[in-house]
Amino acid sequence: MSNRPVPHARLAAEFLKDEPHRHFHDERLWDMRQKRDEQMHIMPEWQELREQASRLKEHTLAHLPQYLEQFEENARCNGIHVHWARDGAEHNRIVEKILKDHGHSSIIKSKSMITDECEMREYLEPKGVSVTETDLGERIQQLDNELPSHVVVPAVQKLTTDVAKTFARYYNTDPNIDDPHALAEAQRNAARPVLLSGDTGMTGGNFLVAETGSFVVCTNEGNADLSANLPNLHIATLGIERLVPRMADLGVFIRLLSRSALGSPITQYTTHFRRPKKGGEMHVILVDNGRSERLGMDDFWTSLKCIRCGACMNTCPVYRRSGGQSYGSVYSGPIGAIIDPTFNARKFSTLPFASTMNGSCTNVCPVKIDIHEQLYKWRRVLAERHEIPFVKREIMKMAGRLLAQPTMYRLAISGTEVALKTMPRFVLYNYLNPWGKHRELPHPVKETFHSWYKKNRLNRTKTQREETQA
Amino acid sequence: MSDETMSARDVIMQRLKAKKSPQEGAYPLPPVVTLGDQDASPERFEASLALMGGRMLSLQDGEGIEQAIRRAFPEMRNLCTAVPEVEGTLRIEDLETHEQADKVDVMVVRAAFGVAETGGIFLSEVELKDHLADVHLAQHLIVLLSKNELVGNMHNAYQERSEFRTAGYGVLMSGPSATADIQGVLIRGAQGVRSLSVIWA
Repeated sequence: MSNRPVPHARLAAEFLKDEPHRHFHDERLWDMRQKRDEQMHIMPEWQELREQASRLKEHTLAHLPQYLEQFEENARCNGIHVHWARDGAEHNRIVEKILKDHGHSSIIKSKSMITDECEMREYLEPKGVSVTETDLGERIQQLDNELPSHVVVPAVQKLTTDVAKTFARYYNTDPNIDDPHALAEAQRNAARPVLLSGDTGMTGGNFLVAETGSFVVCTNEGNADLSANLPNLHIATLGIERLVPRMADLGVFIRLLSRSALGSPITQYTTHFRRPKKGGEMHVILVDNGRSERLGMDDFWTSLKCIRCGACMNTCPVYRRSGGQSYGSVYSGPIGAIIDPTFNARKFSTLPFASTMNGSCTNVCPVKIDIHEQLYKWRRVLAERHEIPFVKREIMKMAGRLLAQPTMYRLAISGTEVALKTMPRFVLYNYLNPWGKHRELPHPVKETFHSWYKKNRLNRTKTQREETQA
Repeated sequence: MSDETMSARDVIMQRLKAKKSPQEGAYPLPPVVTLGDQDASPERFEASLALMGGRMLSLQDGEGIEQAIRRAFPEMRNLCTAVPEVEGTLRIEDLETHEQADKVDVMVVRAAFGVAETGGIFLSEVELKDHLADVHLAQHLIVLLSKNELVGNMHNAYQERSEFRTAGYGVLMSGPSATADIQGVLIRGAQGVRSLSVIWA
């Protein structure tokens, strides 16, 4: 994996070049946000649910070792094999070992961000294991060899015409299909034989229940229930932060999850796995991969409360106008921008700057993560670690000195007013002013507030401070 | 012990205990809550089911359940049944392979209970006679549900229904399978059942 900082702004500019894609992406995500709002408005208990969800997650994270032990013990009693993985590489080796022990080589898989995080396909495929994504959006991304663009709708940056071209290449369908129904049908027909012949089923999971040793998978397409139940071997991968203490706590999270994500009251399938099926074998892999380290970060541990609904992405004006691919990561949007730097501070150093700091992400978050505040804190951390580009850093330093000194600031402002009025564009819009790349500088004002105040204040005698400064 | 000699489990546990930022005392376990509308009426269930893309199938005068199914699916070549009320063309217990289930046009099952808030119906290995995947391979699903087995909302479901603690596999299906992954167009009937109809019975 390259360690170079993701050029978010440049990739976003690429995405924005095509008007139909730009327009659809923005509208589609905003539509999801509005559907979420409709659900919120008909539920007077909405804020109470968010508060409860947040407190439950905070409690669980504060007691994580104890709940992990409880989950493990109960799951084992139910006949589930529980594995632990320190990082993605260890996770992938565990999967490989389970397959090897069974002589298996074909995985049918429902959507799970964490296996993408572990880069499992990249590890297993060269070893002769076929991994077939069965979620429609995730399958489109797999065929195009791209990371998911969104945690809930992985191919949201694509139009029907894009999918038609991809399917034509792999499924031998007509490249000019313009009906999404026909393409979904093509996926159903292509997936069935693979589902029926796969020897290993893999799923992710939304929740682990400590009290019962069960895990919950929330999906819409029915592919997870097929993938998990068709073969006799089911492997589920979940992050260690996915725990809730009690079965009764699920009521809170299930009521919030799909409403926050898509504006639907619940996912079409809410599936509870508690023990292997008759004659089957079930494995749960609990993955750390940086989570325990994040739990030790005072400013950032609450990002582990995330239930991956994507509401912060749908509402974010920057995400909507830059597309998930521009984040160069499995997790994009505001939540991606605060968790990605914990995986690689250099590579993802640009992401916390992909925000207008409007705070909308924080306002829609069902588990009340202070996302925009963490974006700000990441900027500070990255600046301290010198992970931000030279020009941005130097300009910030200059601005800092300037803003700290009123007389210098006023002098600069009056100079700027003259400059904005008189300077040619090439002087104002160049590489030293990345802010001006996609924005017009403000129109110069005739008079600053300070100069107006000086002229108009009732008491025209100079203050003592100005006397001494003069 | 070093990371190499300890098990992954112990390493993770040790890391968590050593570095955990939130302090236990500051975050007590909140009591279980039951919030919002707890109306468990059939009317609310029907409205929610419609919203999730499912439909009600009502019996006409003097009509039996099987007749109603045949009326709703005149083209069906076979009817697989998991309930004593319907004879059908084959029983779920007699399905020997998944390939056989893949050819089922209509499957009829009885749900353990329903959730009025979401129009969801609960199925486990008990109702499915251990044919967990086969129900999802069928093209269309008919669900028999008793009006006496309704809970209000999801809080009620998890608190009141023992199935969540006893079932090995328990799925709440709220309408048929669906996707909106291609240009945001909502398509009912993705990879699981194409339609889901509920009969009060």
